[in-house]
Amino acid sequence: MIEVKNLAKKFKTPSEEKGIFGFKKKDFWAVKDLNFNIKEGSVASILGPNGCGKTTTLRMIAGMLTPSKGTAFVDSIDVRKDKQTVKSKIGYMTNNTSLYDRLNVLETIKFFAELNQIPEDIYMPRAEKLFKQLDMNKYLTKRIADLSTGMKQKTSIVRTLIHDPDLVVLDEPTTGVDVTGQSVIIDLIRTIKNSGKTLIFSTHQLNEVRDIADHIVVMKAGEKIFDGDNEAFQALDTDKNFTEIFMELVND
Amino acid sequence: MTKWQVLLIKEIKHLFRDTKTIVQTVVVPTFITPLLLGAIFWYVGSIATEETKKTYDISTYTSTESNLITQLNDSDRLNVLTEASIDEVITSVTDGVTEIGLVLDNSFLNDLESDSSAKITIYSKNIDTFSQAKSLVTNIIDDFEEAERNERLVALNLTNEYVNPIVIEEEDLTTEQESAGSIFGAILALFFVMYVMSGSTYPAVDLGAGEKERGTMETLISTNISSVDIIIGKMLSVTTSAVLTATFSMLGFAIPMVVIFLFYADSVNEYLFSLLSALLNPVAFLGVFILIIPLSVFMGAFLLAISVYAKTPKEAGLLLGNVLIIFIVPCYIPLINPGLELDFVGALIPCYNLALITNNLIAGTVDWFLYGVALVSTIVYCCIAIYVTYIMFDDENVIFRS
Repeated sequence: MIEVKNLAKKFKTPSEEKGIFGFKKKDFWAVKDLNFNIKEGSVASILGPNGCGKTTTLRMIAGMLTPSKGTAFVDSIDVRKDKQTVKSKIGYMTNNTSLYDRLNVLETIKFFAELNQIPEDIYMPRAEKLFKQLDMNKYLTKRIADLSTGMKQKTSIVRTLIHDPDLVVLDEPTTGVDVTGQSVIIDLIRTIKNSGKTLIFSTHQLNEVRDIADHIVVMKAGEKIFDGDNEAFQALDTDKNFTEIFMELVND
Repeated sequence: MTKWQVLLIKEIKHLFRDTKTIVQTVVVPTFITPLLLGAIFWYVGSIATEETKKTYDISTYTSTESNLITQLNDSDRLNVLTEASIDEVITSVTDGVTEIGLVLDNSFLNDLESDSSAKITIYSKNIDTFSQAKSLVTNIIDDFEEAERNERLVALNLTNEYVNPIVIEEEDLTTEQESAGSIFGAILALFFVMYVMSGSTYPAVDLGAGEKERGTMETLISTNISSVDIIIGKMLSVTTSAVLTATFSMLGFAIPMVVIFLFYADSVNEYLFSLLSALLNPVAFLGVFILIIPLSVFMGAFLLAISVYAKTPKEAGLLLGNVLIIFIVPCYIPLINPGLELDFVGALIPCYNLALITNNLIAGTVDWFLYGVALVSTIVYCCIAIYVTYIMFDDENVIFRS
């Protein structure tokens, strides 16, 4: 489903050398020569400390950033060559709810469905099913600004899934979310897993990964330092628990 | 519906559910500004009226008696105070005790009697532009001089015609429309430009830097909408707000005038009434409106490009504040130089061309070729601004600039 080939991304960042218009810019490789494959229907997690390149990797896979080198294939489509088609196959959720405060829940879902050119007779039954599943029916006409964080999270979930994407990408979905919100996200990931869709998410919550992920990629300073399944990760050191293994990997 | 239409509807809905947008687009131009202007005109008018009834204190110094002082004393609106020295006259005016100081030269009477030129020094402060003190005094001096001249001519057995070989008769052929255009054209254009800018600034900040800060821009570009669709949708939203603001600002000017004509026509000064009548010119309003539409799109696209470049709404506000000066200054030039005429180069300068064309449209003297040049050049600027916005939206370094 996802094939990442020699993927790399370079940004310009301020150096310590001063120029006429402030600090001179220097090249910074946020992601370096990344390779991994994720099978269709599996749940993959990208782990790593802050600034290791998780978000940049997910954004390149989702066609939001153009790789500086290499490429990624989603369902055999090259993101470099046809990012719009790749985007149509993906449901991407950022690490904040990122919704329009002055629209209500129904209007929000309608907007994203229509952006994806889904006819009403298809998206409405789908939305109703998701609303029921997430217990949201009482809140459909409420504006986003008036919703609790948990309810905003649920709206974001429906918005992400409304066009029935083949691949769901969640960028640190539980960051900054309270316990209720986290549980909503975990339930969502499980639901997606059970539905047979492919899911890739980045996170700091190692317990979630241990319980849910089929595939783990650990990154450090833009490079891949582990790529394998849950068992392979645990097999790195059978005397240590999941968190200890992760800490040892990233602190090496 | 196409994707940009979906986005446009969403943006309009989102923008106009914000009270700030409604206030800026409808309430301020339609009600607040006309009320504010009306209040200012009423206040200034009442000061001017007050001045026509006011009695002014003037200080004088003369070493001998003169009929001129008697004539000044005869005026109902002058209260003549006699000072003991020239210095006291100067101090009196400097300290604001009297408005005008008048000093007759020591040889004033002798000079008049010997048919020479007699000297009068007038001391004043020319700060109070409403004050009529100086004109009252100089009018009396003019009458005094006229009487003196006539006496001299009679003594020489000469007539007025003898010393005035040429009589100049002036006839002002300025039409009411031309006067109205000259007085109101640049002011109206300045207001329209300010409204178009105020109508586009908040939406541009909200839909550009605001969306970046709230994270909704990232959500939007994660969907399969293209950069072109995003630009069209967002730019048309900003432009809609700008055009609506400009439309309501026109209504804000037109409605009070219609009210004046319908209900207060008798109480308005005849000259002012004729000027206001000239302003109510549908061709002028339509001509200005047609020019404002591409200007709104140009500004909308330009402001959106800057807003998207900014990291935060605060930075966008700062950048846009500076850019707005670039649009305002060209409108001021015709305002401070009322005699300026539009030429080919001027027709290429945005806002400057609008100010002069508004003037000409009201005056009925518009050069339609130059109007066309202004319209086409604004459309070209529009296209350039849209292209710049496209570059901004297509550049991931700008979209993810933080």
